[in-house]
Amino acid sequence: MKQFQYVRPANQQGVLAAIAQPGTKIIAGGSNLVDLMKHGVMAPDKLVDINKLPLRNISGISNGLHIGALALNSQVAEDQQVKTKFPLLSQALTAGASAQLRNMATVGGNMMQRTRCPYFYDTAMPCNKRAPGTGCGAKEGFNRMHAIFGFSDKCIAVHPSDMCIALAALDATVLIQGRKGTRHLKFTDFHRLPGTTPELDNNLAKDELITGVEIPNNNFAQHSYYLKVRDRASYAFALISVAAALDIQNGIIKDARLAMGGVAHKPWRLTTAEQLLKGKPATVATFEQAAQTAMQGAKAFKDNAFKLQMAPASITEALTHAAGLV
Amino acid sequence: MEDQNKGFEAESNLQPKDNPRRDFLKKSSLLTAVALTPAVAVKAAENHLDEKVAAVFEKLSLDVTVNGVAHKLSVEPRVTLLDLLREQLHLTGTKKGCDYGQCGACTVHVDGHRVNSCLTLAMMVDGKKVITIEGLANGDELHPMQEAFIKHDGFQCGYCTPGQIMSAVACIREGHANSEAEIREYMSGNICRCGAYPNIVNAIQEVKNGGQKV
Amino acid sequence: MKQQELLNIPPLTEGIDRVDGRLKVTGAAKYAAEFEVPGMTYAVFANSTITKGTIKTIDTKAAERAPGVLAVFTYLNAPKVPGYQTGGDPSKPPSGGGPLKLFVDNTVKYNGQPVAMVIADSFERATYAASLVKAEYTKEPHQTDTSKVLDKAATPKGPRFADYKRGTPDDWQSVPVKLEAEYVVPIDVHNPMELSAIIAHWTADDKLTVYDKTQGVKSTQNAIAQAFKLPPDNVQVTAKFVGGAFGNALRTWPHEIAAVMAAKQVKRPVKLVLTRDMQFYTVGYRPYTWQKINIGATADGKLTNLVHEARAQTSSFEEFTEGTVNMTRFMYACPNVGTIYKITPVDVNTPTWMRGPGEATGAFALECAIDELADKLNMDPIELRVRNHADTDPENGKPFSTKYLKEAYQMGADKIGWQNRKSKPRSVQEDGWLIGYGMGSGVFGAGRGRATVKATMQSDGVLLLQTSVTDIGVGTGTAMTQIASEVFTGIPVSKIKFELGDSSLPPSPTQGGSMITSTVGGAVHDACVALKEKFQQLIGNGGTDKPDYIQVLKDKNIPQLDVTITSSGNSEMRNFSSYSYSVHFVQVKVHPKTGVVRINKVVSVADSGHIVSPKTARSQVIGGAIGGIGMALMEEGVIDHRFGRYVNADLANYHVPVHADIPHIEALFVNKPDYKVNPMGAKGMGEIALIGMSAAVANAVYNATGKRVRELPITPDKLLG
Ligand SMILES: Cc1cc2nc3c(=O)[nH]c(=O)nc-3n(C[C@H](O)[C@H](O)[C@H](O)COP(=O)(O)OP(=O)(O)OC[C@H]3O[C@@H](n4cnc5c(N)ncnc54)[C@H](O)[C@@H]3O)c2cc1C
Ligand code: SF4
Ligand code: FES
Ligand code: FES
Repeated sequence: MKQFQYVRPANQQGVLAAIAQPGTKIIAGGSNLVDLMKHGVMAPDKLVDINKLPLRNISGISNGLHIGALALNSQVAEDQQVKTKFPLLSQALTAGASAQLRNMATVGGNMMQRTRCPYFYDTAMPCNKRAPGTGCGAKEGFNRMHAIFGFSDKCIAVHPSDMCIALAALDATVLIQGRKGTRHLKFTDFHRLPGTTPELDNNLAKDELITGVEIPNNNFAQHSYYLKVRDRASYAFALISVAAALDIQNGIIKDARLAMGGVAHKPWRLTTAEQLLKGKPATVATFEQAAQTAMQGAKAFKDNAFKLQMAPASITEALTHAAGLV
Repeated sequence: MEDQNKGFEAESNLQPKDNPRRDFLKKSSLLTAVALTPAVAVKAAENHLDEKVAAVFEKLSLDVTVNGVAHKLSVEPRVTLLDLLREQLHLTGTKKGCDYGQCGACTVHVDGHRVNSCLTLAMMVDGKKVITIEGLANGDELHPMQEAFIKHDGFQCGYCTPGQIMSAVACIREGHANSEAEIREYMSGNICRCGAYPNIVNAIQEVKNGGQKV
Repeated sequence: MKQQELLNIPPLTEGIDRVDGRLKVTGAAKYAAEFEVPGMTYAVFANSTITKGTIKTIDTKAAERAPGVLAVFTYLNAPKVPGYQTGGDPSKPPSGGGPLKLFVDNTVKYNGQPVAMVIADSFERATYAASLVKAEYTKEPHQTDTSKVLDKAATPKGPRFADYKRGTPDDWQSVPVKLEAEYVVPIDVHNPMELSAIIAHWTADDKLTVYDKTQGVKSTQNAIAQAFKLPPDNVQVTAKFVGGAFGNALRTWPHEIAAVMAAKQVKRPVKLVLTRDMQFYTVGYRPYTWQKINIGATADGKLTNLVHEARAQTSSFEEFTEGTVNMTRFMYACPNVGTIYKITPVDVNTPTWMRGPGEATGAFALECAIDELADKLNMDPIELRVRNHADTDPENGKPFSTKYLKEAYQMGADKIGWQNRKSKPRSVQEDGWLIGYGMGSGVFGAGRGRATVKATMQSDGVLLLQTSVTDIGVGTGTAMTQIASEVFTGIPVSKIKFELGDSSLPPSPTQGGSMITSTVGGAVHDACVALKEKFQQLIGNGGTDKPDYIQVLKDKNIPQLDVTITSSGNSEMRNFSSYSYSVHFVQVKVHPKTGVVRINKVVSVADSGHIVSPKTARSQVIGGAIGGIGMALMEEGVIDHRFGRYVNADLANYHVPVHADIPHIEALFVNKPDYKVNPMGAKGMGEIALIGMSAAVANAVYNATGKRVRELPITPDKLLG
């Protein structure tokens, strides 16, 4: 790791001033950034530690819940309000990383974490995301963990987060602070598809700070489920993950939310399938139909064809659990 | 540069440590430049100033309490808590198994919470309390978890053990040791290649069920 | 099997706590990289990013100028390691080849090969400076994909590896039931939790102390002494605690020699800790092995033919061999048996033995094939094994010293509830999961080598035992203490001290091959017996069997009494075949939609003679089972052959089991002594604990799903479709 400067501004103003300088990076929990710096993938000249900012709160707001950007993944997962109002989020967080890492990882950092594509991590290999123009190592290489939706010629990586899959499903909003002011972004608009600029993971500007997320109230708490399929029982990234939330009344699905992880460069919201579910009886047959719909447009690479089968099976499974049919 | 520093540098007290050569260096215009531009540092190196210059400008002061002992240190910001403990404080009980947050061997408690010290920059525990495996026992009297690990043979080579024990204590304190399945899930951040898992789970259950204060 | 026989199994005692437990749970146990030496410096490698070729230019200027850097070594400036010059024509490797020599020339033989070594005054500075080393290469075409060069495999030299034939294995004309199947075991990487590490400290021009991660301090001492042309006594090697190794510290690797070289040159102690990715690239792995089994039997399940062929990878510069096909020769009573073993070089570093070495690879194929045959014959797989039980060694006709394999089958079957297994696959479903049972057995040679132990009765009544053996986690110190306490009845365990892990102590072999309990235990036993006799002589006739040793020493006015005994197996052993056996049983559940496999229950039974240290033995069996589960379900080192680089050289992408993967595991012991092997009647169990486990899992997955996965690991994707 190269030598860098380290500052710990006492307030938001200080942070915003600092990150406006070239070569700076915010550090929150450090669990992704320090890892990438050790690998030589990221090499900021200056770290701006934002832990002095009062962004750790989780608090009820008129139409939902506000979660500060510095709230720890473990803190959010255990929070009583989160558990009762948005158990899906709690489940997704608990499915991620390890207990220790969740004690370090923050909400903002989790959103900003970078792909785990092995070519991205290995500076001796080509990767358009790390070094634009060097080519995508994964496309013709080892791509078992890679995308089946929304990829581009330039990059086929997936976003590794679990938390983000739940937040995408829950219609969350991202709160962003820039030097010129505040803006709100729909969670599903926060992350990007790779397109021709895979080096950009999301739509946050370099000089902006995530201050929190807001989740609107909903009727899904009774019927939601986060399913994570992975190579070992815990402490592994998802092959496929599904966030499923249903509003079921008298056996009929009034409303539905579905998002998938491990399949695209961003949390993959399945709106067509959601539409299909609406008004249908909450049965496995319905879920299977929705799963098939959700898979339209999926395309696999050399090593990840299994996802074409695992993904719909996981959608069905998650919906079945959400509906309480297991 | 000056302008940029004004907003926060002073507030956060991140000043270079005292050093005999500081006065000389202060006068020198290298002061700010060196810390920012590697090229200048290289030039300094050619003039045989490298060691001293680097030592002064790259280190920041750090106050941290480790196992009840307050330390006033001066560290490069790139030093991780793990390397600080092992290489500078010679507290080698905390282990390096991967250096990337992937094994849990480096687990310590920071202000009572378990974290991976390999991904924690030392500067980020400024003002905090760190407890390592060396600080768990009460003098000669082992912590109940240490006793239970011995009794249930919760280890073989012992290399993952400090991390397992720090994690196990936290697991109970967090309230995540209510069933075998829950213990297994919440201990999964600690890999044991020797395969002592079932014995570790037994040890944790015994401590949990024994109701001792952990 | 007769029920009485089972009832005769002696109950196992709890066993003593690990003697070094307190040091391990308090963090006081010191591993190689943890010794403090004043003036320490840190070494970090810069590694090749190409797989094969030569270094065109290597620019170390920036690294040399970086703060804190003391030296940067490359092939251009590294001082010659004197022992590296010996030998014949350097352009022709000796038969079998030899380990890579670092920094001797500009060739690159595998990706990740160190091309420069930076020494700096801190770890951070050395790491940064290493990143500044810039090399340019002339690339040559490489091949790292063993599966592509299987046809180039050749038989290694030496009688052990020659094709084996008994009867007419290739005559299949009148064989009623036949089966042919191919199996693949991928690269598995040891990945002990402790990273390979060494501290090299020259205390004089011709003397050094080395704190090393090694399974054998004596072999490391010799290797360093040879490389630097020193008398072995001038090289002091210490390995008090070893954080697991599983085979990857059996030999002295090039990085160890490089650290010693660097320390000599910079005249300061050098600490080198390999990074986790280097555990994949430069300190060995279980080689990729393709296997084919042809097996035939009569309709009532008597084996008639058995042919086992294996082809495995080695490096381009060194032959690596292991006993992959050997167990097929003697595991079952079959008249017509053939084995073929070949290796093929690829552009990677040399593999090395990994727990349960070749036997674990071979047992996966053989024990799956037996299961497949049982399925074809519609016969219980245990029944098929019992029908083909080898009562004497079919390879050489010798009697077995002891063999309680049938008892082991029975114990395990009873414990797991084998009667609940349905022979028709995919017939049990619970809560949406498919349930299946499987079993597999393992075998490993049980011998006894030579070791020297010094036993001293000190004036304070402490019995001190000393020998150079290391303990990589198996509990050697504990087992030895227990053995001594069985000879010196009356001396409490707390008064017995076992000192190990130091080359200045009397010689013991390298920790490995499940030989230590037998070899060192035998020597400890013999030394204790001799010391007791010496006391008897001292006291004269009529002395009691349990004298007050402190008093005797005081009365005779001698500060202490000691003996040093070298002992090894007796010649009678040659008339017998001696093996340890294991039988593993598992119950799995498989999610039919997602392909996820979970292990529900495990019962592992060991037939490894008398169990001298029950507590640590149980842990070892459990640990081996978990290693086998990893091998079966998740472990695979994946190389992108276009680049020759691993794409999962870390612990996040190379999966080993975590807590959540592992259920309660039952470890059972037949616990019947084999006094032919050593006076304790104990045989090794480190290897058998893993051998056969991966087959048990694969067989259980088949029983659950009806899907036969012949290429490990059995990841969810392989069970879909
Ligand atoms: C071994 C391992 C396994 C893991 N497994 C999982 C898993 O299964 N599922 C999962 O979801 N995650 C997993 N993770 C990732 C983990 O969740 C992330 O590392 C973590 O969420 C990052 O949060 P942080 O606060 O530590 O971020 P940091 O490392 O501090 O920062 C990450 C990035 O976010 C930026 N950033 C941080 N906060 C803000 C902010 N407020 N505004 C703007 N930018 C900001 C930083 O500049 C940096 O670029 C794993 C990590 C490891 C090491
Ligand atoms: S998939 Fe994306 S991140 Fe991976 S190698 Fe290709 S460009 Fe890089
Ligand atoms: S060393 Fe920190 S998690 Fe492995
Ligand atoms: S005891 Fe060796 S890794 Fe856990």
